[in-house]
Amino acid sequence: MPSAKEIKSSMRGIRDTMKITKAMYMISTIKMRKAKHQLEATEPYFYGLQEAMSSILYNFPSVKSRYFGEVVGEEEESEGKKDSGSKKKGYIVLSSDRGLAGAYNQNVFKVVENLVEHMDKDEYELMVVGELGLHTLTGRGYNVNQDFHYTATEPSLERARIVAENLILDYYNGIYDELHVIYTRMINSMETTVEIQQLLPLKKTDFIDMENEKIPRHLRSAESGKLGANEGDAQEYLIEPSPQVVLEEIVRNYVTGYIYGTLVQATACEENSRMTAMKSATDNAKDMLNVLTVQYNRVRQAAITQQITEISSGARALKKNKTKS
Amino acid sequence: MASFNLKVLSCDRLFYKGECDALIYPAQDGGTEILANHTQMTAQVSVGELRYKVPGDPEWKIAVVTGGIVKVGHNDVTVIVYSAEKPEEIDAERARKAKEAAEAEMREKQSKVDQRISEDSFNRAVQRIKSAGR
Repeated sequence: MPSAKEIKSSMRGIRDTMKITKAMYMISTIKMRKAKHQLEATEPYFYGLQEAMSSILYNFPSVKSRYFGEVVGEEEESEGKKDSGSKKKGYIVLSSDRGLAGAYNQNVFKVVENLVEHMDKDEYELMVVGELGLHTLTGRGYNVNQDFHYTATEPSLERARIVAENLILDYYNGIYDELHVIYTRMINSMETTVEIQQLLPLKKTDFIDMENEKIPRHLRSAESGKLGANEGDAQEYLIEPSPQVVLEEIVRNYVTGYIYGTLVQATACEENSRMTAMKSATDNAKDMLNVLTVQYNRVRQAAITQQITEISSGARALKKNKTKS
Repeated sequence: MASFNLKVLSCDRLFYKGECDALIYPAQDGGTEILANHTQMTAQVSVGELRYKVPGDPEWKIAVVTGGIVKVGHNDVTVIVYSAEKPEEIDAERARKAKEAAEAEMREKQSKVDQRISEDSFNRAVQRIKSAGR
């Protein structure tokens, strides 16, 4: 059994650590609330863009764009050459800058591992947001784009825009044939899940119902339902400067908005799992303290009892000696 | 004066929602005004000043916007932009720094893509400084 002094010093250590975990828990709670708030604020923007996109696709069915995986104009002849080359997929991986967030990063890495396992190194490229993910995934020998270096803390629109513009251009120039984002999403306040979402090319079917030439019910505003499906009606619909330009502007906005959304979402999840991790750490510390307190009391009591026995037996021995003499 | 519904959405918030008498948005070829009963339209919005008139207030309200679209339905106008700020919200100091940084970037030898990004941020900074100075 350890001595009382040893127990006491380990109790002090635990108490100090508990102070830190408690403080981190509080900070995470606040940060998570902020991120959740940010997330809610992006929603109207997002739905607005979706609606605009579907109404353009509906009114101008003939618009073609590379962003929808379609081949446009003069690129058609060079297309044969392109197909022979291997398709390269770009994956944006959202991890965190700092650790101590429970299994948050590990869950992301697991998904990346499963995904990349069956691919050649030149078939994919990872773009990792977050210091921790960057180091870990590079260390594991994956094909990580080292020029892509962004922090995950406090996502800002500015950063999302820089990330998005570069990626969209890379996609447009054919460096990547597909762009995906791997991020953590909240199911509810307790559960999170890692998701892979395709960013580009966009799927037209997400915005319009191809077979019935209709805008899906949830994206239809009251008036647009009245329009016919033929091109004649589309003539009355003004678009400036051209459907192509406007559509591509929307796509850029959409992708940027999406990346921003996932960044915020991921931050919320990171703080959420840090919060849970810190909460269980604090609880564990409390349990340990309870056990140690009992142990300490026992050791102290044992020491006292022993001392009393020693004194009383010593006193008795003295008494005996006195009466004898 | 007839009014219409205006919604200004930016990436991080709902900037404005409510009645509006007139709206001028920055297009590539200059400001374009939208009044009530405008025909259905979707158009590109560039970096610049978005101005709108709220019923009962003769003053134009100003918002600095950075790129997006405007969607006109039946008396229902939605402006969707990256960011929208009131002039008084703009941090002039920050904008000036951003302008200087963008200028420095533009002087350097850059790839076409980087050049475009720097130019864009330069334009945004210039617009912010211009509007903040009012």
